[in-house]
Amino acid sequence: MKEDDDATLVRRCRNGDRAALEQLVMRYQKPVFNVALRLLRDSEDARDVAQTTFLKVFEHLGDYNPSFKFYSWIYRIAINESLNALGSRKPCEGLNGEEADTAPGPDRQLEGEQTGQAIEEALMRIKPELRAVVILRHFMQLSYRDMGDILLLPEKTVKSRLYSARQLLRDRLLQRGAI
Amino acid sequence: MADSGRLALIHAEIDGELDGPQRAELARTLLADPEAQTLREDLRRLCAALDALGEVDPPQQLRQSILDALPQSTPSRAPPWWSAPRMRYAALIAGVLAAGTIVYETLDGPRPATSDVAGTMATADTPTTVDTVRLGNGAVAGRVNLYRDRAGLGLEFELVASAPVDVLVASDGRTLRVNGLGVRDAPGGPRTTVALPGFGRSVDVTFLMAGHEVGRATLRAPKDR
Repeated sequence: MKEDDDATLVRRCRNGDRAALEQLVMRYQKPVFNVALRLLRDSEDARDVAQTTFLKVFEHLGDYNPSFKFYSWIYRIAINESLNALGSRKPCEGLNGEEADTAPGPDRQLEGEQTGQAIEEALMRIKPELRAVVILRHFMQLSYRDMGDILLLPEKTVKSRLYSARQLLRDRLLQRGAI
Repeated sequence: MADSGRLALIHAEIDGELDGPQRAELARTLLADPEAQTLREDLRRLCAALDALGEVDPPQQLRQSILDALPQSTPSRAPPWWSAPRMRYAALIAGVLAAGTIVYETLDGPRPATSDVAGTMATADTPTTVDTVRLGNGAVAGRVNLYRDRAGLGLEFELVASAPVDVLVASDGRTLRVNGLGVRDAPGGPRTTVALPGFGRSVDVTFLMAGHEVGRATLRAPKDR
């Protein structure tokens, strides 16, 4: 149902229907922004990536192959744009303020927002390609297959990356007493 | 614990991917291995915490800023290049020049043999290889050339493999899949060319056999001059 709706909107966009384009923006601005935000952990950068993503979608809409899921396509663009943004950051950016200053001891349990913050910090300390699979699985609730389509990876590689990412996150969060 | 098989069972259980026999195997593992139990509980807590993070609302002005940044007219199919008024004049001028050239060629005298001047410049139609990746002695051998011709970029595959190779090509959000490469008995031999209209200068190529990744490479074209 959702795919049909996307396909219809894309078709209308291709025919010059501005309202359909606005609907696509309405539908995907939030997930695209969230993908970028989780990858970049910077609201301003995420907003820029969301804008660039929709511009690219717009520019290449005539080339989009409707036999593929639209959301796979737009998420792939969003992830690539986010990785590009990460690549253009200064090498040390994101590693300042090491958790040593603020990290609670192992005996202290973080809860609620603190747990969330600890997870976000831990996410930023794993490789972006591992972070991307965690985001697609746990925040976008996508299947291995959809993740593979988006990342252009076989399911086996997707699973391998996801398992590695979880192990790393688990080790780091246990160290901080966050889980 | 923990061999990769047990780890995979634990992760698969969290993702709801276990069938009956695998569930039984995991239960046996957990009974016999307290470390595995601990790991499972840690990972379940982690995944519950990850799932609980949820989505963040984008800034209120995001939608409007996106719409403002988009051009007012949506792109359908690009109009043919020759339909632009400037191009029509260019075509007219080109036609006149072509007619003039034919008249000149007809009236002009004998020319040196082609061999006297051949090799000084490649014709515009000749594909020029701009990057090459050689594949080693793994599951897939051979090479991939990124070339540029008048139509733009393209890939040329010369692969040899024990089984058909599927190739995913990606660049700037565009993707292309080519199936069944690398088979010696394929019509036309093992060489296959694929045009990449509109693709970016950096092209990621992933090789799959029976659905499993067996290699990947990135080819890059220099900027157009």
